[in-house]
Amino acid sequence: MLRTIKPKNARSKRALEARQPKEVEDSRTTIFVKGTHTGQLLNNVMRDLMTLKRPDAISFSKKNAIHPFEDATKSTASLEFWAQKNDASMFVIGHSSKKRPHGLTFVRMFDYRVLDMLEVGIENCVSMPEIKTPKSTPGNKPLMHFASDLFDTNPRFTQLKSMLISLFNGEVIDSICLAGLEHVISVSLGPSLPANDESSPLPTVHLRTYTTRLLASGTRTPRVELISMGPSLDMKLRRHTPADAELFKTSHAETQTEEERDLSKLQTRKMKGLNIGVLVLNSHLAQLDAGLLPGEKLEGSGKSRKNFLRSAAS
Amino acid sequence: MDVSNILASNTAKYQSITVEKETPLEVDPGLLLVSDLNPIDEESYASNLEEHLQSLARDGVQALLGSLFSLPTQRSDEGPLAQLPPPTTAIPRAKPLPKPKPLTKWEQFAKAKGIQHRTRDKRVWDEERQDWVNRWGRDGKNKQVEEQWITEVPANADVDFDPRKAARDERKARVTKNEKQRLANVSRGQGATNPRKAEIEKTLASSRISTASMGKFDKKLEGEKKMRGVKRKFEPTEKSLEAEKATSLALLSRMDSDAKKVRREGPKEEKVLNERKAVRFASKGRGGVALGRETARGKGKRTKGKR
Repeated sequence: MLRTIKPKNARSKRALEARQPKEVEDSRTTIFVKGTHTGQLLNNVMRDLMTLKRPDAISFSKKNAIHPFEDATKSTASLEFWAQKNDASMFVIGHSSKKRPHGLTFVRMFDYRVLDMLEVGIENCVSMPEIKTPKSTPGNKPLMHFASDLFDTNPRFTQLKSMLISLFNGEVIDSICLAGLEHVISVSLGPSLPANDESSPLPTVHLRTYTTRLLASGTRTPRVELISMGPSLDMKLRRHTPADAELFKTSHAETQTEEERDLSKLQTRKMKGLNIGVLVLNSHLAQLDAGLLPGEKLEGSGKSRKNFLRSAAS
Repeated sequence: MDVSNILASNTAKYQSITVEKETPLEVDPGLLLVSDLNPIDEESYASNLEEHLQSLARDGVQALLGSLFSLPTQRSDEGPLAQLPPPTTAIPRAKPLPKPKPLTKWEQFAKAKGIQHRTRDKRVWDEERQDWVNRWGRDGKNKQVEEQWITEVPANADVDFDPRKAARDERKARVTKNEKQRLANVSRGQGATNPRKAEIEKTLASSRISTASMGKFDKKLEGEKKMRGVKRKFEPTEKSLEAEKATSLALLSRMDSDAKKVRREGPKEEKVLNERKAVRFASKGRGGVALGRETARGKGKRTKGKR
């Protein structure tokens, strides 16, 4: 646990405020951690993933004795500490051992606590510099493509999909520059084996990255061609820890209902002085017919006609 | 003129931007995401993996771009900005939702009345100077009266009336009032209870357990909270002589001591005549000795015509 800091100047106050929870969150800052042994292949993979993730990537270049699946309590404590210290909400941990070579573990955090973990083994990698093609601009948002029915049916692959979206594209934005759609991260699976067999191995995951080339098609929508960019990874799913049910539920808290969102948009527009989309209503009240009212003094009430009219009008 | 060639090439172009799949692709433009839920074709997978993957990705991306380019756009310097709808795929958050900030008393009132918040400009127009001046701060409009070199004084003002001081005091009082209100809002936001209310609750709690049965058979009011942590303790009827002696002595000493008196002494009887005050009054502040001397001489200061 970090000590609590009381801001002493405006700059540190702003820095602390930037860490406060937001309704619409920024991209997940990811820390890339090297385990006790990584090897050239894993180093390349992590470097390339970092290139894709930049500028929201932090590199831990020194070796760390971290084993999220074996030594849960100690590793979890380390992860939580790092998450707080760096205000990071995701980890990619590379670790290679004889039993599990080229292992890459994705750890997702919620409220500086570990939400879920997923380990994959890299089987084959073509790194980014090996493919001599133009690369995407750092910081541009990628398009994401997932191809297989298993991403919807198998919980292991659902988790993988959710994890990869969180890693590359978890940020909610309200507009995007169409000219800036430069690259695609495509995740596809090998052919699915006969279902309802628990022991059968899970199909290989193919992660490919392409840059897009938009060609004129004669319509508004361009025709797209893809050029391989790298990295190209072939992975196998290994161990995983699903999210704790209660934590998972809190992490999916609804921000706003659609009506509330519309209302807040309308209010901001109003505040800016724009009257676009604001419906102005006039309520019409029928005029009081004074001729039908009783005379100067109302019987019993002691109210004058003038007062009566005033009270009726208000 | 034969245009069939041109037409054919044109239709080829149009076809190339539509994607036909057995299960239609699921597009989530809010997250720039497309999911292809068709099972993987084993044949093409086995024959040429890279080509198979690229064609799958191309189809998916084409569908995604189709939906992105059909969104309403806004112009910008870098090119058209597509207005994205909110995402449909649920992704866990990184941090919990922010807690709603407690409303200030004014904000509560404004909300109830439907008053819109309006930001006030920092500068206001000065008619005399024909220029924009600060509302507050350096050469602020709020300090105009106290900073001008000559000020009109009302005809009925006191001799020591200082118009500059009066204006300054008024401004400072506003500042103090605002600070007081801010602190009240902060304490209200933290859920601080009213000290008077806390005191009443404490008194009520002690009065409720002040019967022999510790309030067990008292009439309950509607909505009255149940008392917590109140238990009646019974001493054993038979106990050793030593223990009984000890408790009795403890009780006696407690009754004797001032700090925790079981029964307080009644209030002192107030005398009708305050002698000290009477002497001071009669001697006109000169003291009892002077008064005695005077009465002995029989020569006090008297008003005319009384004798």
